[in-house]
Amino acid sequence: MIVGTTFGVVARQAGLEPIEIAAMSLLIFAGASQFAFVQLWTGGAPAALIVTTVLFLNSRHLLMATSLRPHLQRVSLPRRLAAAFVLTDEAFAMATGYVRRGGVSLRYYVTFAVSLYVMWNLSTIVGLVVGNAIGEPRRFGIDFAITATFLAIVVLAVRRPIDAAVAVLAAAIAGGLALAGASTVAVIGGGALAPILAVAVRR
Amino acid sequence: MIWVAIAGSALATYLVRALPVALTVRARLPPAASRYLDALPIAIIAALVGPAVIAPAGALTHGAEPVAASLVVAAVAWRRSLLAGVIVGVIAVALLRLL
Repeated sequence: MIVGTTFGVVARQAGLEPIEIAAMSLLIFAGASQFAFVQLWTGGAPAALIVTTVLFLNSRHLLMATSLRPHLQRVSLPRRLAAAFVLTDEAFAMATGYVRRGGVSLRYYVTFAVSLYVMWNLSTIVGLVVGNAIGEPRRFGIDFAITATFLAIVVLAVRRPIDAAVAVLAAAIAGGLALAGASTVAVIGGGALAPILAVAVRR
Repeated sequence: MIWVAIAGSALATYLVRALPVALTVRARLPPAASRYLDALPIAIIAALVGPAVIAPAGALTHGAEPVAASLVVAAVAWRRSLLAGVIVGVIAVALLRLL
């Protein structure tokens, strides 16, 4: 997985220790959150702010897990809790397609989700090794890789005009706050305020 | 400190995944709340981009980052590929900074 490798490279270049980077992929297992973590951490953000951002960033999983819940009626609690650990956007999309086609087996979801988990961690390690080998990141523009990754995630996630409007507004608010010297609250500020536009504009 | 942030983030990502499947209550979100939550991830990721493009290293950009960012958006919109965006962005910003 390319994103995992990119994460390893970027995090290593940002100065995180290999053990910290590997632990993030093992324990957090959320792509955008891990990139956000690295960017905020390098910017000197306190732990509480990082955790809040990650929580907001993943609030969508609350909705995904809720929508999968009715299909897990017959699965025991410990197994549901284990299945939840490997829930990702991709696994959710796959599982939704599967149950719509009438599938009922949890094994299908688990196999898919766990292979994503394994690939994510292996590719992080590959990225670590590559990141170690590149010196002087700014000179080669490697420091921009994280920003380019975010931009790409946003562009690929935009489905409707309102999505693009929200993204531009969020970037503008956050950029403005950062210029004004309020860089610690820039991301939370832009991220929390811009979605109000989506609520205000009815599709 | 970084381990506090890692542990906290791990807990945060797990909680939002696990709570809905652990509980049996079926709560229905009002449409406004679900529109807000729908837009939240894109907004946060875009908010991460803003400062890095407009004010890299805390000061107003000299122009390399916004130009590179536009090229990234164009490349990803055209190829629908994350990797294409990253490669274009890294090469563009490295060249533009030389100017």
